[in-house]
Amino acid sequence: VSHQGLGEFEQMVLLAIVHLRGDAYGTPIVDEIERRTGRSISRPAVYVTLRRLEEKGFVSSWLGDPTPERGGKARRHVKLEAAGARALRDARQIANRMWHGVDLATLSTR
Amino acid sequence: MTPTSMPPRSATRLLRRALPADVRDSVEGDLCELYVRRRAQWGHVRASLWYWREAFAFSARFAIERIAAWLRILVGPDGMPSMLDFKLGGRMLLKHPGLAVVGGIGMAVATAIGAGAFAFFNLYLFPDLPLHEGERVVTVANWDTRYGNDDQRVLHDFLAWRSEAKSLVDVGAFRTSRRNLIDATGQADPVTVAEMSAAGFRVARVAPMLGGVFIDADERAGAAPVIVIGYDVWTNRFERDPRIVGRTMRLGRTTHTIVGVMPDGFKFPLNHDYWVPLRADPNAYAIGQGPDLTVFARLAPTASKERAQAELAVIGKRMAEAYPATHGHLTPRVMAYTEVFADTGGANLAFLLVQSMLALLLVVVCLNVAVLVYARTITRTGEIAVRTALGATRGRIVTQLFVEALVLSLIAGLAGLGFVAVGLRHVDKLLAMEGGAPFWVNPGLSVSTALYTLGLALLGAVVVGVLPALRATRAQLRSTLSALAGASKPQLGRTWTTLIVTQVAITVAALPPAMILGEHWVYLAVTKPGFAVEEFLSAGLLLEREEQAYADADLETPAFRNAMRVAQTALVARLDAEPAVTGVTFATEIPGNHWYDHTEFEGTNSRRSARSARVAVNYFGVFGVTFVAGRAFTPGDLASANVRPVIVNRTFAEQMPPGGRVLGRRIRFVYHGDTGRRAWHEIVGVVDDFPAGKVGVEDPGDTKATVYQPIAMGELQGTTIFVRMRGQASPFASRLRAIAAAADPSLQLRRVQSLDTAYALQRRDWKMAALALVLVIGSVLLISAAGVYALMSFTISQRRREIGVRVALGADARRILMAVLGRAAMQLALGVGVGLALVGVVDFALGRELAGRARPFLIPATALLMAVVGLIAAIGPARRGLRIQPTEALRSD
Repeated sequence: VSHQGLGEFEQMVLLAIVHLRGDAYGTPIVDEIERRTGRSISRPAVYVTLRRLEEKGFVSSWLGDPTPERGGKARRHVKLEAAGARALRDARQIANRMWHGVDLATLSTR
Repeated sequence: MTPTSMPPRSATRLLRRALPADVRDSVEGDLCELYVRRRAQWGHVRASLWYWREAFAFSARFAIERIAAWLRILVGPDGMPSMLDFKLGGRMLLKHPGLAVVGGIGMAVATAIGAGAFAFFNLYLFPDLPLHEGERVVTVANWDTRYGNDDQRVLHDFLAWRSEAKSLVDVGAFRTSRRNLIDATGQADPVTVAEMSAAGFRVARVAPMLGGVFIDADERAGAAPVIVIGYDVWTNRFERDPRIVGRTMRLGRTTHTIVGVMPDGFKFPLNHDYWVPLRADPNAYAIGQGPDLTVFARLAPTASKERAQAELAVIGKRMAEAYPATHGHLTPRVMAYTEVFADTGGANLAFLLVQSMLALLLVVVCLNVAVLVYARTITRTGEIAVRTALGATRGRIVTQLFVEALVLSLIAGLAGLGFVAVGLRHVDKLLAMEGGAPFWVNPGLSVSTALYTLGLALLGAVVVGVLPALRATRAQLRSTLSALAGASKPQLGRTWTTLIVTQVAITVAALPPAMILGEHWVYLAVTKPGFAVEEFLSAGLLLEREEQAYADADLETPAFRNAMRVAQTALVARLDAEPAVTGVTFATEIPGNHWYDHTEFEGTNSRRSARSARVAVNYFGVFGVTFVAGRAFTPGDLASANVRPVIVNRTFAEQMPPGGRVLGRRIRFVYHGDTGRRAWHEIVGVVDDFPAGKVGVEDPGDTKATVYQPIAMGELQGTTIFVRMRGQASPFASRLRAIAAAADPSLQLRRVQSLDTAYALQRRDWKMAALALVLVIGSVLLISAAGVYALMSFTISQRRREIGVRVALGADARRILMAVLGRAAMQLALGVGVGLALVGVVDFALGRELAGRARPFLIPATALLMAVVGLIAAIGPARRGLRIQPTEALRSD
């Protein structure tokens, strides 16, 4: 996988997967992001992002068993891959480096 | 889980269609799970609404995703098109000339219609005003809620708006009048003059090129008459005389001093070249009376249109309370300056809709071409496979096919743009005859029209190139994977069948009315009036309205009629004295161009539509019209103003309701909204139909029955005078002008031309209309045929191997072919059937015009034509099918 930066939304989705610890699929990811950010987000955007992250090799997915309350459709579970973990770490480091030496208290609000 | 607790089924279907296969199940499952939970919480209705919203959101989001993916394919790293692709595209067109011609013509006509509508809407309905801060120039009008139009008699309101409105500056008004410009030799030339407030020059913010402009004081009665002229007048009439200011020019009986020359291109308020001060004395008119005026202004520096509107509404309300009889139904409205001249009535949405419909027309045409291209692309699977093996990506191949289509659609777009340019020039010529388009209308092709056409070409290329390419390359992937397994081949689905059936149906339904109209138009384009037209000179005759002497409302006053009578009598007397003139007469219109009225017969309730012509007493004598029965008009017939006899033509007499006689029977005219009883007129004569044939009858269903009423000289303003000459009439035109100016300088002659020319111009317009119609009908037929052709050649190429094998096994090739042809025949039959049903509905709506006695064969003939066209289109591919050799078919696969 080539060296690609992570978008803000991609980061949120990846971090939600990390927080969910192995029980990640569409619905809980949406809930997790909404719970932690306090914002309501677009559900389709999460699915589109998941698809893109999988194309990039940052996550992988597998189908669970179909259940009747899902109209006989299977769940698509996702899990973080090594490349995804590396991308998260890179993003964190870049952010840290950029934040280094910035004192929020002295920032003018002008 | 019970079925009723499932989410709305149609929403789920929408989701399934919109989502890509890899996420379809998981999204549907997740949403279903959430729906079940929400339903327990919120109840059925709210949960269903939620589900629908989510279904729409997902469909839209993934549609965007799909488009983005296509774009990535098109402009991806190896997807960029090269010059070679364009060259290949050109070569493909030459290799398949049939496809290029059929597709090209169809796309060109569709593009022309779409781009033409765009150009027209932009030019005439949503123009930019080319003045400094033109968007702040407005007009103010009084909207009449009773009739749904503007009441232009706003003199008193104009003065109130000018003195009271704080949000408007430089409030002015104008009206257009036609004046006789008399040159040094006494020749009269009617010109269009703007009578305008001095504020007009301030609103336009254009300074004169020479001298000055007039000022507010010039508008007062008794001020010396002044005039400002335009650049073209200065150039053409005064040879750019630098000392023009101070010279004089004569309009009618008044001599005006030229005070200034405006720069090139200045035509404010509409398309004017002469400006005189507007003199309108409010004391001369009651409230709600006065000349027709158009009021203009600029918004004050900090004011908005809304504020001006609010302010004028207050003034309007006060006027309505003070003068309920004249102003109770009037509301002032402030509009963008150009809006009052091309009133869209807030119908922008409708225009947008028409625009989209026309773009859709192109898409439908392109879909047809797309299937043709698809059928061709399928035959190139070998080439595509080789290129894939050599490392070309799907994107690269799609790009190449897109560029091939782009070459075709660009050529078609260019041709379409050419049609539009010709059409616009024609519209401009027509407008020029009516006095020219407003100064903000630029009749040339604009950049935005060219860009729109480019957009249409791209849209066309996407439909024609990318859709088949994506399908073909997908088929390619699939068939290479499963070739040995004998997997099913690509198919043309139900959509295509529906499209063909609809297309054939629309063609069958649209052809009969179009053919009747076209036949009539062609007839009008070639029919000659059948009398010695070249011996007649015709001219519109008007008496000039001197400033203040006769306002618009006073046209029917006895004083004005008398002036008109004196002038016209003098003109006729002078013309009669000319040795070359053999006769002079007049009528309301040139022969055959009279308006329609309703007539009622005495003693019956029966009404007929007939042309109503008002003619001079000697009209039939001068034109040499033969009498079938009765007598001609005599001067004695004019004695009473109301109870005058009439003469009818042969068609009218033949179409009269039963009652035996014609002569002596009485008729009267009935007008729309008529309450009073009108006078009865006795029929005293019957003349032959004149002019010959149906010349001037615009609608094929209209009658040529005509009723002639006698009129006296000067009775009507705006009649047409006819001068009959010995031999050719046209050389006499300038002499006629001179005689008219000598008889009375305020007599205006308009469109002095021989009747030969007048009819030739009409025939030319019909020729253009007929040509346009033939082009449209032709392309509709062509596209329908192309659809059938595409279907057949596709089916044959798909079943090539099967046909080959069956022929090899000894089957009768013809029987196999009949089976193959069956589908095309079925679709044709279905389309013709639906079309016939449609045509029945249309016929019923038109009052059984189409299937009437006159044309019992038209509808069956159309159906037959469509079937024949379809079968001819099918024959080519079918013959190719017959020629398939078993060995060849087997080898090729």
